[in-house]
Amino acid sequence: MLNMKDISKVYRTESVETHALRDFSLHVEEGEFVSVTGPSGSGKTTFLNVAGLLEESSSGIYELDGRDVSSLNDNERSRLRNEKIGFIFQSFNLIPELDIFDNVDVPLRYRGFGNAERKKRIERVIDIVGLGSRIKHLPSQLSGGQQQRVAIARALAGEPRFLLADEPTGNLDSEMAESVMQLLESINAEGTTIVMVTHEPNLAQRARRNIYVRDGQLEEAVPDLQVAAAL
Amino acid sequence: MFRYYLKLGLLSIRRNPALSALMIAAIATGIGACMTIVNIEYVMGSNPIPHRSDVLYYVQVDSWDPNEAAVDVDRPPRQLTYTDGTALLEAREARRQVLSYMTWRVVEPEDSEQLPFQVQSRSTSADFFPMFDTPFVYGGGWDKSADDNGEYVVVINKEVNETLFGGEDSVGRTVIMNGDRYRVSGVLDTWDPMPKFYDLNNQHFGEVEEVFFPFSVSIAKELSSNGNTNCWKAPDSNGWEAFKNSECVWMQLWVELHGAEEKQNYLAFLDAYAESQKALGRFARPLNNRLNNVTEWMEIEGVVADDVQVLLGLAVLFLAVCLLNTVGLILAKVMRRAGDISLRRALGASRRAIFVQYIVEAGVVGLVGGFMGIAMTWLGLQGIRGLFGQSRMIDHLVQMNWTMILAAIFLAVMAALAAALYPTWRACRIQPAALLKAL
Amino acid sequence: MEIGPIWRTMLRNKSSYVLIALQIAVTMALMVNAIAIIQERTRLMGRPTGIDEDNIFTFNSTGFDPNMDFQALVAEDLDAIRNHPGIDNAVMTNSLPIRNGGWGQQFQTEPGTDVESVGTGIYFVDEHGVDTFGVDLIAGRNFTSTEINWFDPESDDMWPSVVIVSAALAESLFPDISYDEAVGKTAYVNSVEPITIVGIVKTLQASWPSWEHIENASLVPQKRGATSARYVVRTEAGYRDEVIPQIEKMLAESYKGRIIRNSKTMTEVRNDAYASDSAMIKLLFFVVSVLIAITSLGIVGLASFSVTRRTKQIGTRRALGATRPAILRYFLLENFLISSVGVATGAILAVGLNMWMVQTFNLTPLAWYMIPSAMLVLWLVGQLAVYGPARRASFVSPAIATRTV
Repeated sequence: MLNMKDISKVYRTESVETHALRDFSLHVEEGEFVSVTGPSGSGKTTFLNVAGLLEESSSGIYELDGRDVSSLNDNERSRLRNEKIGFIFQSFNLIPELDIFDNVDVPLRYRGFGNAERKKRIERVIDIVGLGSRIKHLPSQLSGGQQQRVAIARALAGEPRFLLADEPTGNLDSEMAESVMQLLESINAEGTTIVMVTHEPNLAQRARRNIYVRDGQLEEAVPDLQVAAAL
Repeated sequence: MFRYYLKLGLLSIRRNPALSALMIAAIATGIGACMTIVNIEYVMGSNPIPHRSDVLYYVQVDSWDPNEAAVDVDRPPRQLTYTDGTALLEAREARRQVLSYMTWRVVEPEDSEQLPFQVQSRSTSADFFPMFDTPFVYGGGWDKSADDNGEYVVVINKEVNETLFGGEDSVGRTVIMNGDRYRVSGVLDTWDPMPKFYDLNNQHFGEVEEVFFPFSVSIAKELSSNGNTNCWKAPDSNGWEAFKNSECVWMQLWVELHGAEEKQNYLAFLDAYAESQKALGRFARPLNNRLNNVTEWMEIEGVVADDVQVLLGLAVLFLAVCLLNTVGLILAKVMRRAGDISLRRALGASRRAIFVQYIVEAGVVGLVGGFMGIAMTWLGLQGIRGLFGQSRMIDHLVQMNWTMILAAIFLAVMAALAAALYPTWRACRIQPAALLKAL
Repeated sequence: MEIGPIWRTMLRNKSSYVLIALQIAVTMALMVNAIAIIQERTRLMGRPTGIDEDNIFTFNSTGFDPNMDFQALVAEDLDAIRNHPGIDNAVMTNSLPIRNGGWGQQFQTEPGTDVESVGTGIYFVDEHGVDTFGVDLIAGRNFTSTEINWFDPESDDMWPSVVIVSAALAESLFPDISYDEAVGKTAYVNSVEPITIVGIVKTLQASWPSWEHIENASLVPQKRGATSARYVVRTEAGYRDEVIPQIEKMLAESYKGRIIRNSKTMTEVRNDAYASDSAMIKLLFFVVSVLIAITSLGIVGLASFSVTRRTKQIGTRRALGATRPAILRYFLLENFLISSVGVATGAILAVGLNMWMVQTFNLTPLAWYMIPSAMLVLWLVGQLAVYGPARRASFVSPAIATRTV
């Protein structure tokens, strides 16, 4: 599903060069649920950005779903994001002026589906996340957990093969976090590949495979999660 | 505390220089456009003789065509016939009365080196000078006896006195006009009434005449008017006598009346006069005599040109656009600083404090905008001068006075405060905690 | 494509959008009416006077010598001017078209005091009048020299018995026949004195530029005056500016008991006549330009703000698959919607303002195409103004979406 080989990402400012990723290689099989942990500044977010086609790598090869995406132009990358990848952000990133329906609708609009198709999909995913009764509400009228469910619905609406979650429970209390995790697990059970960045060891543990990033590099052996938690 | 807000305001203006510049420029442009036109309207409509404007009355009697009013709708003619003018003058029913019309004369300097030159002149009667309170450098007007005896006396202005007599006291000396010798009775000092209220039938902002001489002389010399002459019926025959006795209107009568009672009495007198003329077969229209004081007459004659009123309307809309612009920009600014406001509220600022802070800031913007607006007004007036060319009126128009400058600043600050009101209200409604959480 | 959500977004955040829309609306009302006034003034200024404006000049001879023989002087003057090189013809008259001051008279088709009459400007000329003015005699004939007399104030002479009128005057006097059939018809002046129309000129304007019946003018065969004469001179093409000082000098020297003054070319007369209109046109053009500049700056400013405020949102959209053009389109479309509300409101305001001005200042009502043209212009201005900020928005990186603050 996802195959990164020797990926590097360098940020340059006038005086400093920062190597956010160094010769980073990772293979994720279709249907896996992978958690990525690591201390702050380790390159988790950069990995996520590159994996999600939000940023281009400086060097290396990245294949997504069997296709080399390293050299695609902006429009092609946008389309791939739209069709193949679902995003779940730590701070939900719902558009405050749009109600739940319109928020979930955003990626579908860019996909170019017809009205009926969009409506069908939106209602389906909102049902999946259990917010059918709130469809006309604005994000600000929902709790954090509910907002993240909307974000998940938005990620699912395009039926992506690959879900990228960035600290999906970072802004939630434990009860809400638990329900979001359950939701992710059930989605994974239906066959969607999930890569989840988190700093919470007990969440990371629930994934089938754990990856640890430090100094922009993947540490081969899965480290002792207790150590990671201590960092 | 005020100084603290002032400091915050200045800080905020400096922090967004482009935006603040845009707001100030918008206010300044709007104020500039408005004040330019207001200034013009103010000068055009200003009272040329404030201390006497409510005792001077312009006289109209309806001697016009039985079949048609002189001026729509049902207004009497704008001037008087010779018959009516002289009859009313001689009746002397008011404290003072003056009859006059505009003529041209050619002055021949005694010094044969100098070329003859043409002057704009006014044939008038003795009361002209005291009634209109004209300033004199030397001498004064002439006596009623000069009118009665048709004496060749003349009042000249400073410029003519300069040309003919090198600016000396010329009272008693002689001016030759069209072959006749006139004795100088006085030299006028600069007298520049705006508009030329005593003769609004011709150019509203025309030049004041250079030479004044008795009405009785110009009639004897058979001088017709160089201003407007209107007839609803041709004179009975050719020649001066027939013209004098015709129904053509060509002269203006002003009377001086103090208080409502005198005005009532004079109106009654006019009505009685009209009735007496009806008995002679004239004045076939219904009684329609009018007395208007200086400001009323200016209003009736539409001294402030339609174009200026149109421009004023457009300028007000222009200001509205500029203000809407400013409201939008201030609102955007407030929304952008919502976090800041929220934090201040959390730290204990009351709604009122936030309100005052933003209103002070808007006031500063308005004040700066107002000063720039004055500069813009000045530019605007220069532009108007460039567009309309030099003339007595334009030179008057492009002068700004303190009233206008203060009005510009006041208007600018008011405008900025008005523009800030809604955004500031929105700022006050921001909850102390609302944005902290989202951050 | 995504009008629905954009529209709903705008409704939820009304105030700033309402402000721009209102600004556009007022701008439109102002712009439309200013341009309507410009059009009206341009039309007024574009009307031909009917005379050969390029080659005509005029001046006054004002006598002050009580012993002057005025009639002999005029004859000598005209003779000298007509024989001067570079001159086509000359005539003594009382005024010129659009000179702001002249002689008016009422003509009527039936004698009597209680009869409808038509106003006309009057030019007293001799048989050289038609040629000097350069008017186009389209029917009938010119005056003959035997028809010209000096007006004698001491006599009981009547008004001259023949007249040449402008086609417009012929049509207002005799609305039921074509103007060439008016030749030979009788009209009445001073209520009862008959005059015969002997000629029709295509166009000849009266002396008052703002008179509503300015196209009504007549040439009357008579010489008038006692001390002062106005001469109108037509030069050969291209000689005008050269001969003016020559003529002034020649006449001033030929007789010392008068002043030659006020020479003006017809071009100057026209400039004077329409000075305030032409100033008004320039002024309004300036106002409209500044207005559009301010409105577009306002749009730029607010759009920039909106882009800054929504950076995160834009990044999110990009992350969710929006291409750069899609983001650009979003802001353009949003502006189009605001502008549409603005111009729709503006159309109503513009018509309302125009109705008020038509009523108060007798302006002409708006031409139908003004509203749609103004809408198009303002739509375009809006799109151009928002393009910069929208382009900036399209360059927001999708990686913004994963940034936490």
